[in-house]
This record gives sequence, C-alpha cells and structure tokens, in this order.
Amino acid sequence: MIEFVHVARDFTRGDGQRVVAVDDVSLIVPEGEFICLIGTSGCGKSTLLQLIAGLTPPSSGAIVLKGKEIAGPGADRGMVFQRDSVFPWMRVIDNVEYGLKCRGVPAATRKATAREYLARVGLSHVERAWPRELSGGMLKRVAIAAVFANGGEVLLLDEPFGALDYVTRRQLHQVLLTLWAAPGVARRTILFVTHDVDEALTLADRIVAMRTGRVIDDTPVRAARPRNDDSLLAPEMVAIKHKLLGHLGLDTPGASA
Amino acid sequence: MKLGERLQAAFDPLRWMGVALFVALWQAASASMAPILLPSPLAVLKRVGADFWSAPALSYYGVEQASLVANLVYTAENVTVAVIVGASLGALMGLVAARIWLVRAIVDPIMMTAGTVPILIAAPFLLIWFGVGRASAVSLVAFYVATILYLFAQRAARNLDPIYEQYALTLGARRGRTLRDILIPATIPEILGGFRIALAGAWGLEAVSELLGSQSGMGKVLEVLAGATDAQGILAALVLLGAAAIVADALAAGLIARFASWSAAGARTF
Repeated sequence: MIEFVHVARDFTRGDGQRVVAVDDVSLIVPEGEFICLIGTSGCGKSTLLQLIAGLTPPSSGAIVLKGKEIAGPGADRGMVFQRDSVFPWMRVIDNVEYGLKCRGVPAATRKATAREYLARVGLSHVERAWPRELSGGMLKRVAIAAVFANGGEVLLLDEPFGALDYVTRRQLHQVLLTLWAAPGVARRTILFVTHDVDEALTLADRIVAMRTGRVIDDTPVRAARPRNDDSLLAPEMVAIKHKLLGHLGLDTPGASA
Repeated sequence: MKLGERLQAAFDPLRWMGVALFVALWQAASASMAPILLPSPLAVLKRVGADFWSAPALSYYGVEQASLVANLVYTAENVTVAVIVGASLGALMGLVAARIWLVRAIVDPIMMTAGTVPILIAAPFLLIWFGVGRASAVSLVAFYVATILYLFAQRAARNLDPIYEQYALTLGARRGRTLRDILIPATIPEILGGFRIALAGAWGLEAVSELLGSQSGMGKVLEVLAGATDAQGILAALVLLGAAAIVADALAAGLIARFASWSAAGARTF
C-alpha cells in the first residue's frame, strides 16, 4: 500500500515566484491497483510521480510505502518516463538486465529474466540491437520490459505513450495490461499519468483527477476487464468520461453527466 | 558499421578524388616551376624512399637521428605519450569539473586562459624548465591536448540529459555506479570526437615544438632542411608526417567506431 500523507511540493521559479506543484495531497493506493492520474498540463501529476519515485523530496508531508517513508529512489519503484530514457549505449537486452545487474543478480539468471520479458513485449528478435535502431514504440516496450523484469512492486508511468501514434498506443495498452495481469504473479501497483480520458478508462481501476496540485476527484472504474471499444460506450463509462472531460475543461454543453 | 562496409567505404573511389586532385594540381604546378622551388610528386616520393632508412645529410646538419624513419618514430612516440597523458588528464578533469562546481570554478579559468597562450610564447618557458628534449615537447603537446579534452568532456557531461541518471536510480543503481554506467559511456562519443581533433593538432604542435628546441624529430628535420633550402627534402618530410597523421587518425576513428558504435556518430566514423 502507498499512503500519501498531506504531501506538498513547491518550487521557486527562475523569476523568484513560488509555485506549488503538489498541494496537500492525501491518498491511499492499495497494493495491486492500477491508478490513472489525469489532469491538465502543470496540475502536478508528474511531480507527484517524481515524489513517489524519490527523485524529488516533498516540501512537507510524507509518502509511505509498506509502512516505510520514501526517502529516495529505489528498485522497488520502477519508472517509465515520458521521454525516451532507455540507455542508448547499452544493447536492448543489457538495458532490460540493468536493474537486475545493479542488484547483484547472477548473469545467467538476469539474462533469462531479461529474455523472458523481451519475449513478453514482443522484442526477442531485437535483443542485440542498439536502441537507436528501434522505433519509438519499441523503445517504450524496452522500458516496460526493464521495469517489469526488475521486479519493482510499484510501477510509475509518466505519460509513457503520449508521443506515440494511435495504433502503437493501443498495442502498448495491451502489452502493459497483459504484463500487469499475468496469471500466477502478484499484480504490481501502477500509477499511470495521462491526459487521455479514453486511455485512463481503458487501463484504470481508479482514476484520480488533479487540478492546481490538488486531488479534485477520485473515481473507481468498475467495468469488467478486458475492456474493448464497446466497454467505453457503457453508460457508466460514458458518465465517467463526461465527468473527467469536465475536469479537463473539455465538457460539452448539454452532455449528460 | 560492419567491417566489410567499412573497407568498402575506405576504398570508395570518391573518397580518393580529393587526393588525386591535389596530386594533379601539384604535378601541374611543378611542371611550370623550377624543381628547386617545387619538385614533382614523383621526385618527392623518390626522396622519401631514399631518405627513409638512411639520410646521412641529416646528421651533417646536426640532427641526432640520420634517417626519416628514426625521426618519425621519435615524433610519433612523443605524440603518443603526450596524447595519452593529456587526454586522460583533460577528460578526467572535465568530467569532474562538470559535476563539482568548486572544481569547475577553480580549473575553468586556468584552462581557458592557459589554453589560449600561443605555442611560441609557451615553448620558451617549457624549454627553460625541461630543457631541450622530449620532456618540453611532450609537456607542451600534452597541455594543449588536455585543454581540448577538458572542454569536450565537460561539455559532454553538462549536456547529458539527467533522465538517464534518474532512470538508473529508479532501476536500483547507486549514485557512484551511475558515474561508471551512465556518465562515462554517455560522454565517450563526444570525448573521443575531441580526442580525434586533439590528435590531429598534436602532430603539428609536436613538430613546431621540435622545431623550436630539439635535436631529433620531424620538426627538427624540417628546420634543418628549411635552413638548407631543400624544398624536396621538406616536402618529403611533410608527406611522411602527413601519412603518419592520417594513419593515427584512422586508428582514432577505429577507436570511436569500437567504443561509440551505439551512437550515430560512432556508426558513421569511417
């Protein structure tokens, strides 16, 4: 379980102005839940992810993971960034193994694990390729394979598919959900930042909406999985969509909520 | 790039067109000038062959080594030592300076100021401190190489996207490990690019420093041949020096292709 206790984070901009990126957020995320954080640009959702990752310390409050306050980055919280972060100087398989190598996992074991996850994301055929030889979608697959292979209980995905085309994005939704819901393995807790309401409705157990650093809505999505295009047309989903679009300032006049 | 592709690229006729054009122009110019002023390419090539293993005239003029090859080896040794020492120190200082502002604040002004001192100003001091011989020439070249590598390494490290280090940390790497796994490999292509530039300049600097105060080396050879107004000998020495620099550059390009093959720059080095 992840517990956010009155978490706040502020910055001082270059012009000396103080900006509150995250403002008094309190939230409980049960283990194994898939949460989407949604909100307009600058609402604090990516900062919240950085705080959980331990890459930025909170200005006040605390984030507690399994009873222990987060004090810095760690392998228990893997992160897929919006921009490509796959190491260009390592071959694909070395990228996927890297976290395991850092933790001293023997070479044969980590190679086998990396190969297993590369197969799961459909990249076995490029394990010896350099990242520059891959497409944007393939690079995201490598990053997803790396964080899953590393075994972190919490996975943080910061608009990972935002720059990808529609088809690739939908393929990667399937890849992600298949890995997350793999049978026989405890589900990882996922926090997924997105602007895309349909993406959130497809992926999430729960959608948390943010505005100006604060949580303004917290909606469970109870639709059965796997979800398809028709699932998104169910009245309950349509109602959630209208509500979320409203939070994003995109609600259409006359639409039922 | 695979070996076959590299070889194909190296022997691409288009790549040799510039050389052929240069030789043709030289030949044309030499035909209209007295050989004492501009000998033909063939005459220069013959002179290289004649003086390569033995050139007694050089010792008559006061050069310690009486053959072109011995002087070339002397120069090449100095260049090698200077480039290895200068590049190692410069790159290391550059990376440290990029990460620690105090080091940057102290070293930057020294490198920026001293790096702009012309060789003709710096050389006399080094001759006074180290005397006539290898030490002064090597220190001079090593210093200039270090300056270039310092700037390249620092720029590479400061331009490195912090996302890689953050990603490594979230995968479980410790800060110290990120230096080895992120900072060094990520900056290698740019550092090796600087190394290649420094190496190209090092041959010229070494020759100039030998010319200013040495009893051996291609610089000394050029000095005595210039004193004897031996244009053919000068051109023979220059052709040999140029060929050595080209071979060294090809080795540096191989180094880049080997250690930076992951980057687009490394892949198209040859």
